[in-house]
Amino acid sequence: MSDLSAPGFPEEEVRRRARAGAAAAFPPPAEYGRVLFGAEHGGDRRSDGERDPLDALRITPPVLMPQRLARLIDLGREPDYRDVELATSIGGFTSAMPVYVSALGSTRAAGGDLGLALSRQAGALGLPMVIGENVVPVNGYGRQGEAADRALLGRLRAYAEQLPDGRGGVAVQQSTEDADAEVWNLVYSDPAALPLLESGRLAFELKLGQGAKPGLGGMTVLDADAAARVGDRYGLDDVFGDGRVLRSSTPGTFTAEILRQQIRLMRNNFPRARVWVKLHPGRDVAEAARVAAGAGADAVTVDGAEGGTGWAPEAFPAQVGLPLAECLRRMAAAGPPPCLLVSGRMWEGGRVVKSLALGARAVGLGRAALLAAAEDPQAGLIRFTQCLALELRLLISALGKYAPDALDRDDVWSQDFPAIPAAG
Amino acid sequence: MTTDGHTAPAAAPIPDPGRHLTAPATRSALRIQHQLLFAAREFLRRRGFTELLPPIIGPVTDPGSRGSKQVDVDFYGHRYKLMTSAILYKQASLLAFDKIFCIAPNVRLEPLETAGTSRHLAEFHQLDVEMAGASRDDAVRLVEELVVHMVDSTVRELPKEFAELGRDTAAFTQLLKGSFGRMQHNEAVAELRGLGHPQSPDAELDWDGEALLSARRDRPFFVTDYPKGSRGFYDREDPERPGLLKNFDLIAAEGYGELCSGSQRTNDYAEIVTRMRETGENPQKYRWYLDLVREGVPGSAGFGIGVERLTRYVAGLDAVWQASAFPKLAGVVSP
Repeated sequence: MSDLSAPGFPEEEVRRRARAGAAAAFPPPAEYGRVLFGAEHGGDRRSDGERDPLDALRITPPVLMPQRLARLIDLGREPDYRDVELATSIGGFTSAMPVYVSALGSTRAAGGDLGLALSRQAGALGLPMVIGENVVPVNGYGRQGEAADRALLGRLRAYAEQLPDGRGGVAVQQSTEDADAEVWNLVYSDPAALPLLESGRLAFELKLGQGAKPGLGGMTVLDADAAARVGDRYGLDDVFGDGRVLRSSTPGTFTAEILRQQIRLMRNNFPRARVWVKLHPGRDVAEAARVAAGAGADAVTVDGAEGGTGWAPEAFPAQVGLPLAECLRRMAAAGPPPCLLVSGRMWEGGRVVKSLALGARAVGLGRAALLAAAEDPQAGLIRFTQCLALELRLLISALGKYAPDALDRDDVWSQDFPAIPAAG
Repeated sequence: MTTDGHTAPAAAPIPDPGRHLTAPATRSALRIQHQLLFAAREFLRRRGFTELLPPIIGPVTDPGSRGSKQVDVDFYGHRYKLMTSAILYKQASLLAFDKIFCIAPNVRLEPLETAGTSRHLAEFHQLDVEMAGASRDDAVRLVEELVVHMVDSTVRELPKEFAELGRDTAAFTQLLKGSFGRMQHNEAVAELRGLGHPQSPDAELDWDGEALLSARRDRPFFVTDYPKGSRGFYDREDPERPGLLKNFDLIAAEGYGELCSGSQRTNDYAEIVTRMRETGENPQKYRWYLDLVREGVPGSAGFGIGVERLTRYVAGLDAVWQASAFPKLAGVVSP
């Protein structure tokens, strides 16, 4: 090694690439399964130093509150934050609050007992839950001798066993590799899913992308044995040079017509299941959402570039995809889908209220839900959600409103984000 | 009997195999089926079709539809499928013969709710026909003539069986005149909606809808021009009417529902790959088929008649399982 240096240039990053080769495009593989990747918090600054436009918004209660008067008349007494009714409809399901548990797929971070603990708690809370892609092709469905508790069937059962009547629902995601494994068909005709199907609480989610790595499919790190088992179905790349390999799903190819027809196919083949569509924060997100809603999707989810994942190349969370606030702005301008769900670094009431004010129906908990369940597998998510619900009631009530769907653009303000047009 | 303690909806009880096989009604129905197939072979051979024996397993098969799923088998360490339809092999066969037919076994694990529809079997047979260089309308005309011949032959040959089943063959008076009715999918949707049935305009006709239309007619009829998104990737899109497919169903009279599906096929490689994506399929799985298409398979049209469904209709049976010697219904454990 020479003593050459380049002050002001990311010298150490260049040297790391020179040492590690392709592996340097990713976080250290030892972090796989133990770290959740995605946009960082960084106070209210993004990693590039810019202020996150959603965080930059302020929630702005009015002084004069006709909706509070209406609630006062309704109740015959002064309303307070406890009078905020959080229950809402999410993609055809009824949820206790405008929150659902985002897709958790086959990465090790979401696998095993943690996935089950999360499913049980989400079920007990009556929150809709998405079961992410690649669980079946990697862990199996649970009826062919695989460990059922690690497979899709385990998560489905853990959720359904705790679910109160009339609340919640499961959306089962599918990627290209899942399509090969016929995941939707397996679920649709499985007796274990029948109670959900018959009570209208089963949805299928067509995944077009995810916030932490727009344009890429699911990625995991596998040891050589595990890689050999799935090598006929996934792309394997020996980027780490230590026996572990990168396993990639194909992201799938979509045009407006392909999206439209796949949704129609879902409605035709699975008429008793709801149809959800998940989009990454692409520059044409408003157009894609419009196509999905027009083709009959019951919910369109947008995962902002602040979204998280179990594994992602470092360039993606840092530099790829539109911020969630910009997605919301573009969709508001184009006419948002009737049931818009958003996710991306949601963990406290402020971001949730801002998202709802900008047109979302509900928000997804990804990393927050996993960490809460990891903190306490019995009740971590339950307690986390109690705190979130209280914050939501306080914030919505402060705006003189008493239901999540009463929030609108007037409820937020930002000098720093002129891209969101002023109300009126 | 079903698994996990959930009961399949309204499944008609199937007697044990011995009693079912030896019941006079079963024997009459199976004789009618035998005659229908005899007549079909006679008709198709006379028209220059070659009968091929179709494969039962392969790396891919026709993608599932309406929630039915495929059965995987371990083929020397590779995941193979039991055939849900002979369609891909029918197209491939045209590299050797211009006109082929086969009587193909199919397995589709239908959703549990089909156990009570009276017209779904998890294992069934299809009379499959494919002809090179043919149009959708050629296929429609051939089905019409074929069905008339099959029913005519059976009615003439087996009066005793019809009498034993209590099936009045006067039910076929209109059918035997030929010239089945024709309506487009959008007309079928309009008629159903007029009857208060909430039929989706961009989906296949649902089972109740088909039965409703079927019950209002005294002879079989064709529904044509289904919307894209309601069918498999191989039905050709009408270049003059984008979004509509050059396909058809043949639906029986008297409420018996669908008997046959067919179409003019897409044989353009890029179009097939695109349509595979539109139907949620992974082209990688269809490598052998796509390689053949890339090299060139002839344009064609064809159809598949559900043998047990046709038998049920002709014999006037309550349920399609009565037209099978060893019936298998969704979710019902049976030999």
